[in-house]
Amino acid sequence: MFFKKECIAMLLAGGQGSRLYDLTRHTAKPAVSFGGKYKIIDFPLSNCINSGIDTVGVLTQYQPLALNEYIGNGAPWDLDRFRGGLNVLPPYQGSKSSDWYKGTANAIYQNINFIKQYNPDYVLILSGDHIYRMDYSQMLEYHKSRQAACTVATITVPMEEASRFGICNTNADGRIYEFEEKPKKPKNNQASMGIYIFNTSTLIDYLEIDEKDESSSNDFGKNVIPNLLANGEKLYAYTFEGYWKDVGTISSLWEANMDLIGEDPALNLSNTDFRIYSRNSARPPQFIGEDAVMSNAMISEGCRIFGSVYNSILSGGVIIEEGAEVHDSVIMDDVVIKKNAKVYMSIIDSDTVIQEGVTVGDPKADKYHVTVIAKGSTVGPEKSGVAMEGKK
Amino acid sequence: MSTAGIIFSSLNNDTLTRLTSDRTVAAIPFACRYRIVDFGLSNMVNANISNISIVANYNYRSLVEHVGSGKDWDLARRAGGINFISPYQSSHSSSAKLYSTRLEALRNMQEHIAEFKEDNVVLMRCDAILNFDLQDVIRQHDKSGAAITFVTKRITPDFSAKIKRLMFSTVAGKITDIAMSNTYLSKNPELSLDILVMKTEYLRTIIREAEGYNYKSLTEMLFRSLRSRDYRTYLYDGYVASISSFLDYYRASMDMVNNCAARESLLNKQFAPIYTKVHNSAPVIYKAGSHVENSMIADECVIEGTVINSVLFRGVKVEKGAVVKNSVLFYGTHVGSGARVNCVVADKNVYIGDGTAVLSGNENIPFYIQKGRRI
Repeated sequence: MFFKKECIAMLLAGGQGSRLYDLTRHTAKPAVSFGGKYKIIDFPLSNCINSGIDTVGVLTQYQPLALNEYIGNGAPWDLDRFRGGLNVLPPYQGSKSSDWYKGTANAIYQNINFIKQYNPDYVLILSGDHIYRMDYSQMLEYHKSRQAACTVATITVPMEEASRFGICNTNADGRIYEFEEKPKKPKNNQASMGIYIFNTSTLIDYLEIDEKDESSSNDFGKNVIPNLLANGEKLYAYTFEGYWKDVGTISSLWEANMDLIGEDPALNLSNTDFRIYSRNSARPPQFIGEDAVMSNAMISEGCRIFGSVYNSILSGGVIIEEGAEVHDSVIMDDVVIKKNAKVYMSIIDSDTVIQEGVTVGDPKADKYHVTVIAKGSTVGPEKSGVAMEGKK
Repeated sequence: MSTAGIIFSSLNNDTLTRLTSDRTVAAIPFACRYRIVDFGLSNMVNANISNISIVANYNYRSLVEHVGSGKDWDLARRAGGINFISPYQSSHSSSAKLYSTRLEALRNMQEHIAEFKEDNVVLMRCDAILNFDLQDVIRQHDKSGAAITFVTKRITPDFSAKIKRLMFSTVAGKITDIAMSNTYLSKNPELSLDILVMKTEYLRTIIREAEGYNYKSLTEMLFRSLRSRDYRTYLYDGYVASISSFLDYYRASMDMVNNCAARESLLNKQFAPIYTKVHNSAPVIYKAGSHVENSMIADECVIEGTVINSVLFRGVKVEKGAVVKNSVLFYGTHVGSGARVNCVVADKNVYIGDGTAVLSGNENIPFYIQKGRRI
C-alpha cells in the first residue's frame, strides 16, 4: 500500500568522480567531505527536506559502501519516514534483464517502478555533486505555473566558461528553444545545473523512447532533453540565483571550500532557516591550545589545535601539533599533522598522518596545482617527494 | 545480565539557584555542547543500557526539549528507550506534590518499575559529572553478590564539602559505617557519587519496605539497614566534577580548559563518547586577526576578537577587539567590539554591547549574567 506523493526526488549518486583522483578511489563522489563537517550529498538531501520533499531515491553504483553507511536510513536529514523517506537504489537483477546503470537516463529508467509506487505528478532529478542551497518548491511552483512538461534549472555562468556546460537558449518568457551540450560557441550563459522537474508521464514516455534507441548514450543532457525539444514539448528554464558550485574537480572542490571563509564568505552555512544537515559522530568540542594561531579558518568538532592554521578548512577530529603549520588547505577527518610539519595548498583525505617536520604541498602553487594526499596515508620524510608531485 | 537505568534530574536545584532559575540541574549546559544529563545518559548507553527512566520533577521543559525522543543517544526504541517520569495525581495520592527525595520518586513510579524486565537497575543523580565504565561496576556487583553497590571516590585531604554529602567507611569494599560528613568517619572515608547498582528485585523490596517502615529517603533506609545488609562500594579513581554550587560549576568548567587530564577523561575517552542533542550547526569560523588560547569552542561560533581560557557554547560571537578571559559563555552570547569580559558566566543569549568597559568577577566569585540580559 503506497500513498500518492505530489513530487519525489531521484538523486543520481553513482558517478565515479574520476577527476577527483585519489579522493574518489574508494568512495563515491557524493560521500567526499566538504566544508568541515559535511559530505557533498548533504546539500541535495538537505535541500529536499527544506523544500518539503520527503521521498528521495538515491541511485548508487560506484563504490557505494561509504556512501551507504553515511546515508543509512536517512535519519540525519529527517528522511526516515513511514511512507517514502530515503531509499537507496543500487542496480538490481530483474526477471528479464540485469544491468549496471549505463547513463543518467538509464539509471532512472531502471527505477521507473520505484517512481510508480508513489504515483507522483512530478519527478525532480538531482545530481549528487553540487554545492548549493536551493528551495526546490519554488522551482516546482514555476514548473506548474508554466504548465511545462519539463523545467531545467539554470544558473548564470561567466561567458568564457559557458562552453563547459549545457547551455539553454530561451525565449523572453523562459521557454527553451534550444539546448546545447558544451557548445563551442555558446549563444548565452544560462547553464543547466543538472536539475530537472518532469511531469511523471512525460518522463516515463521519454525514458522508454530513449531506452529503445540503441545509439543513445542514455544521458539526460545529451539525449533526453534534446529529444523533448525535437518533439516540441514545453521546456522552461528556471533561473536560480544563489551560490552553486560543481565540485567535480580538485581545483573546484578546493575553491568551494575556500568560499566558506574570508572577510565576506561567498557561502555562509550558518543560516538557521535553511540548515544543511549531516550525520553527526558525537565528537567532543574543539580545543585550542596555548600557542595556537588561527587566522581565517573554519574548524570542526573534535579538533585539537596546538599549531597554526591559516586560510584553511578542518574536518572533525584533526590534530595539529605544536609548531605545525597549515596554509590554504582542506584537511579531512582525523588527520594528524605532527610537530613542525608544514602543509601548503593541499587537500589531505581522512585518517592521514603527516610526520614530524615533513613539508607537504607547494606554497607557490595555484588552485590548479593543489596537492592531494589519499585517505589513510602516512607521509614521512622519505615519502614527502611523492606527495609533492600532486595531482592536477 | 541486562540493566535498566533511572536518572534523577533535579535533586539539588536549590543550591545552584542561578543556573537553575529556569532549568533543572540535568539541563545545565556544560563543556561547550553538552548538558549535564548527557553524561549520565551516555555512561548508561555505553554500558548497553537501553531502558532509561528520567525522573523529572521541577522546571523540566528544557530537559524534555533537549532529550526529546532519545534519538541522539540511540534511545528511540520500541522496547524501553527513554521514559520521563513526573509527579501525577492518582487515586491513591490525591495531591500531585513534588518529590523531595529519590525514595518518594521511586515509590511514585513503582508500577513502572514493576514492569522492568531487566535483572539489574542503576540509579544516578545528575550532580556528579564523570565518564566511567558502568559495565565494570555492574560486573563487580554481580560477582560480589552485594545488595547494593555504591560508586565512590576517595576523599582527598583538601576536601571540604559545604553541603552535606553521604560518606562511607569500608573494610575490604564492604560498607561498615555511614555519615553525612567526614569528621565522624575513621580513616580513608569514601565519598558517595550517588550511583547505585542493585538487582531490580531488590529495588522493589526497598520500595515495599519503605512503605512498611515509613522511610523518607534512601539515606534513612541505608542508616537503618546497614547492620543487616551487604552494601559495598566500587572505588572510582578518575576525574569527577561534583556540582553542588555555582562555584563548583565554574571550577569544573575551567577544568575543561586548564586540566588536560580532566578534559581527556571526560570527553575523549576511547569507545566512550558522550552523546548530546544534534543541532546541525556549521563549524567555527576564526576570522583573520582573531586570537584564541587554551579554550574550548562549540560549533557556529564566530571569533574575531581574543578568547583566553574560556568555554564558548554554540553560536557565540566575539567581535573584533573584544577580549574574553576565564569565562563561560552560553549559547548565543554576543560580545561586542572592545568589550572586556573576565571570570564571567553568561547565560543563554546575553548581549554585551560594543565598548562595554570591563565585566569582571574573580576566580572565587565569578560574575553571573542572567539569560537574555543586554549590557
